[in-house]
Amino acid sequence: MSSLTENIPQSLQREKMSDEGFITSLVVIVAVALFLLASLLVPNFFQWQNVVNLVTNNWAVISLGIFVSFLLVSGNFDLSVGGIVALSGVLSVWFAQSPDGANALSSGLGMPYPLAILCALIGALAIGAMNALFVVRLGIPSIIVTLGTMMVARGIAQVITQGSQRNTNLPDEFGFLGNLTMFGTSVKLPVVLMLLLFLVAVFVERKMVFGRITYWIGANPEAATLSGINRSWHITKLYLFSAAVAGMVGILLASEFKSGFSNRGTLMEFDALVIALLGGIAITGGFGSVIGMFFGAIILAVVTSAATGMVLSPDWQFILKAIAVFLAIVTQTWAVARRNR
Amino acid sequence: MTGPQTHTVLSVSGLTKDYPGVRAVDDVSFAIEGGTVHCLVGENGAGKSTLVKMLTGALDPTSGSMSVNGNEYTPNSPQDARKGGVATLFQELHVVDELTVLENLTLGMERSWFGFLVKSELEERAVKTLAAIEPSIDPSARVSRLSVAQKQIIEIARAASSGANIIIMDEPTAALSEREVERLFGVIRRLRENDVTVIYISHKLDEIFELGDNVTVLRDGKHIVTKPLADVDGRSELIEMMIGRTVFQSYSPRGTVGNKVVLKAQGLTTSLLKDVSFDIKEGEIVGFYGLVGAGKTEIARALYGADSFEGAVDFKGKPVGRTPTAAIASGIALVPEERRTQGLFTNLTIRENIPVMNLPRVSRGGVFKAADVQDAAHQYVEQLSIATSSIEKHTEKLSGGNQQKVVFAKCLFSNAELLLLDEPTRGVDVGAKSEIYDIIKDLADQGNAVAVFSSELEEILGICDRVFLMFDGHLQEEIPNGPDVDISHILNVVTGGQESVAQ
Repeated sequence: MSSLTENIPQSLQREKMSDEGFITSLVVIVAVALFLLASLLVPNFFQWQNVVNLVTNNWAVISLGIFVSFLLVSGNFDLSVGGIVALSGVLSVWFAQSPDGANALSSGLGMPYPLAILCALIGALAIGAMNALFVVRLGIPSIIVTLGTMMVARGIAQVITQGSQRNTNLPDEFGFLGNLTMFGTSVKLPVVLMLLLFLVAVFVERKMVFGRITYWIGANPEAATLSGINRSWHITKLYLFSAAVAGMVGILLASEFKSGFSNRGTLMEFDALVIALLGGIAITGGFGSVIGMFFGAIILAVVTSAATGMVLSPDWQFILKAIAVFLAIVTQTWAVARRNR
Repeated sequence: MTGPQTHTVLSVSGLTKDYPGVRAVDDVSFAIEGGTVHCLVGENGAGKSTLVKMLTGALDPTSGSMSVNGNEYTPNSPQDARKGGVATLFQELHVVDELTVLENLTLGMERSWFGFLVKSELEERAVKTLAAIEPSIDPSARVSRLSVAQKQIIEIARAASSGANIIIMDEPTAALSEREVERLFGVIRRLRENDVTVIYISHKLDEIFELGDNVTVLRDGKHIVTKPLADVDGRSELIEMMIGRTVFQSYSPRGTVGNKVVLKAQGLTTSLLKDVSFDIKEGEIVGFYGLVGAGKTEIARALYGADSFEGAVDFKGKPVGRTPTAAIASGIALVPEERRTQGLFTNLTIRENIPVMNLPRVSRGGVFKAADVQDAAHQYVEQLSIATSSIEKHTEKLSGGNQQKVVFAKCLFSNAELLLLDEPTRGVDVGAKSEIYDIIKDLADQGNAVAVFSSELEEILGICDRVFLMFDGHLQEEIPNGPDVDISHILNVVTGGQESVAQ
């Protein structure tokens, strides 16, 4: 089995880099260049700790971005992940709260914590299954389906928390997973899990049949079916995986803050989509890489943190994201048009 | 010929069109008389569509000249052609569903005054034209409520009212029911009474005899004859002129055809197919021949599980599952009709395209064996002589013939024992064509069964051992291929002629 690093000289030998390799390297270069530029302009920006922060502060969005990227490559959207983050977090709290609380918001089902996590994950998977059902079986455009399930998931969370949050009457071990620091550093478990998931995703995308099938489906759905690929089942799996990861993110965030909050993860689905697009993944499917998505997240983080640290108030971050998205889409459309000329 | 009152409205002389490696239209000269229905016939690839494209300005001739009403005629675009008085009725309709009939008739010719539409004499003329050719259509009706045939008539009326006195109709009856065809013929006859010339292109010979005044026969890009249909002695003479004495690629019987039936299809029925039954033997190449829309593709897709159908398909004695995945698993592979949209992943490389139909062969535990993928790509690039600088080349950058070879490579890689080839050489240059025929023959020689679905008779008679003739969803007849195969009989059957009136 060849590792990633062994492949680098091989790809350099090729007469011409593939379009995908070109776009991904471009994203990496832009991310590094922006970081250096910000270092020149913003005092104290150029620090190792700051690089670490850029990654650790974004663990949740990058985790969600992995399957959002896979789905995008397969030609489908997943806008439900933010809602699932809220739902699974709230569910894990509600399931774990002891049933003898003083009022409705402080009493739950009193499950042991591992069982509460498991049941919360099942709740997340139910939303993923709904996505798959509507997209695959009923053929409804994924952007509409997942917009709906996003609201379903957050709506259920809202009902369970009565529009507020649940944070009392929890077992002591509830806060363990989200705050566990690893390797004697300040790096927390969720960040390590995100990095592991990312590496696995890169391997799956580059080296595994599962990853290639995703590309074949996105590149030409009809040819994929006629080549014997079971498109429905593959998309179903992608939606289930995406929901499982979002569910895990929600559980870890609930653990970190020891609370279930129905507004948690608001707009995370859009951030996940934005970093995927910034990372060069084609909105039409069949093209892109999770490596690009990862550096897309870095680009977005550098732009927002540098600009808000430099001159602008944090209120500007939406405008900056908007500009980044428009630039990414325009560049991509231009690049695709050039390719197909 | 018919008398002194005839006049030539359109003539071409020495018209030639060259494509790289092919002369599609070769020194064609003929004249069309005004106020007639002039039919243009020939086999697929005879040069009809190239000729029409030059007449409508979609293609520039390599040499030769055209004239309309005695003036030189050099259209650069269909709009240009219309100004010259030549309008074309394309197979796909160009009407706006949301507008009324009248608005469609005057579309693009509206008069306005400071941005407000004003009534013009144009509208009146359009209404009059429509009333003359098809009084049953209400000019104020919304086009979305009309049938395909009526929409076609709207297009004809638009062409006629815009002053065109020559209307080209390319296979206008392809999408029409029998009754609608009758109505269209009525319209064409009324056009002729109003001194409009119609150039009518169709594969259906019965229509030609029913409607036409004169006929021009093309064959292999050359002009064979132009004469009044009254002087043509029935279908058989016309067919003879279309096929001429051309010797088809010599078919030599192959010794590998076994007696073992590998595929048995019984009573295949879909919305188009009507109770189609046949079998295919080991080591045999069978051909399905018929016009466009006769049901060839439908058979291929049914056998492959790509479309649902009624009936039974047994492969090697077992029923075939009804999905492409199941068909591939049992040893059937399909080279689809449209390679770019159905066969290839054009934005991926040759290496990434080849293994898709047989992933277990290049992976273990879901992980690709990278070396095996590379080897497979190199092997098939060499075996099928795919012309490329590298296996990392994107398939969209390959020529048509090489793209088709990549689709073949995909199917071969699946270790299929029955290959379904739907129009295997469409849009492929001559050289690649004969290479593809060699590939097909090799496959059968190795004991595989091959089914070729084609609308090119030369292809079918060049390589197939047995031929099934299709017409309108029916399998009309099965004939063995051989040196004494009766071509005019085949053409008669697939154009809807009765089997009994052969020869």
